[in-house]
Amino acid sequence: MLITNPINAFELVFPIMEVFHIAGFAVAIGVTAAVDFRILGLVPLQQTPSQLAKSTGFWMLGGLLVAIFSGFELYTSDPDMYYTNWSFLIKMACLIVAIVLNYTIHRKVVQEDGSSGGAKLVACISLLLWGAVIFGGIFIAFIRGGL
Amino acid sequence: MMTFAIWIENTPFFAYVRGSGYEFPTLLALHLVGLAFFGGMILLTDLRLLGWGLRGTTIAGVVNTLRWPKRIGFVWVATCGFILGMSKAEGYFLNTFFQIKMILFVLVLVHALVFRPIVYNHPEELDKTPEIPGRAKLAGALSLFLWLSILTMGRSIGYMNSPAGLHYTELLKSILNLGKG
Repeated sequence: MLITNPINAFELVFPIMEVFHIAGFAVAIGVTAAVDFRILGLVPLQQTPSQLAKSTGFWMLGGLLVAIFSGFELYTSDPDMYYTNWSFLIKMACLIVAIVLNYTIHRKVVQEDGSSGGAKLVACISLLLWGAVIFGGIFIAFIRGGL
Repeated sequence: MMTFAIWIENTPFFAYVRGSGYEFPTLLALHLVGLAFFGGMILLTDLRLLGWGLRGTTIAGVVNTLRWPKRIGFVWVATCGFILGMSKAEGYFLNTFFQIKMILFVLVLVHALVFRPIVYNHPEELDKTPEIPGRAKLAGALSLFLWLSILTMGRSIGYMNSPAGLHYTELLKSILNLGKG
């Protein structure tokens, strides 16, 4: 028996998933950006970067998981289109690098409460990568060319 | 209102943004980048007011420190949003989700007018009590609800086509062409 993907069977599922996807990313990127801005000295909160990251870690992870699971659902609506779209592929590459960076080098810099040039460089790279994820997501609908 | 919409979306700048290849999506992406960065700061403030995060920092510390970054972020998001909105003003003005989004912005203004004097302008008062006062929690909860609703309505705009809007544009073009003839 053929089982229809709910995202294609019901008209409202895709937009609802998209809202969850964007909200999840907004929360995850928003709190990560706040930590990065704290490292860069642009948001001089009383909390150190490590304290800030610790108190927002739950929201970062929660937002990211919502974004990833809803994103996977969106992907299943038309895998061929997404898989052959350059913008989607760039978004995925940036997302993977951003997540790996976030839980490795970025985490180390944050835990050390670094404010050196190197720490600021990591914060800038983190901001650029998350920004690129958003750009990649938006351009999926505007770029048809791909593999 | 529609006369204004037709006029502004056909001014050279907004017509260029609408008809361009990558300028419109670039502005849209910048709008969302600003929303994520700016929204993160709103979220931190709301979480602190609700007592759900940043408990190690005083409410005054969070509210006062994030005030200016939030304002800068708002100008960024609003500028991109204004250019995007005016470049397709006719269609957006007729779009129910856009109309709801604008009503929500008015409610954000009302929220600011109501809660600034009793919460945001005197956050030090909120740190004096052992429990976070109800008015602060209410301000945080309403802010969270309003901004999440704005995000939802903003995304929903794209799902509603406004054929009537296209009709208006075609009508205007034919009138302009008649004038030239």
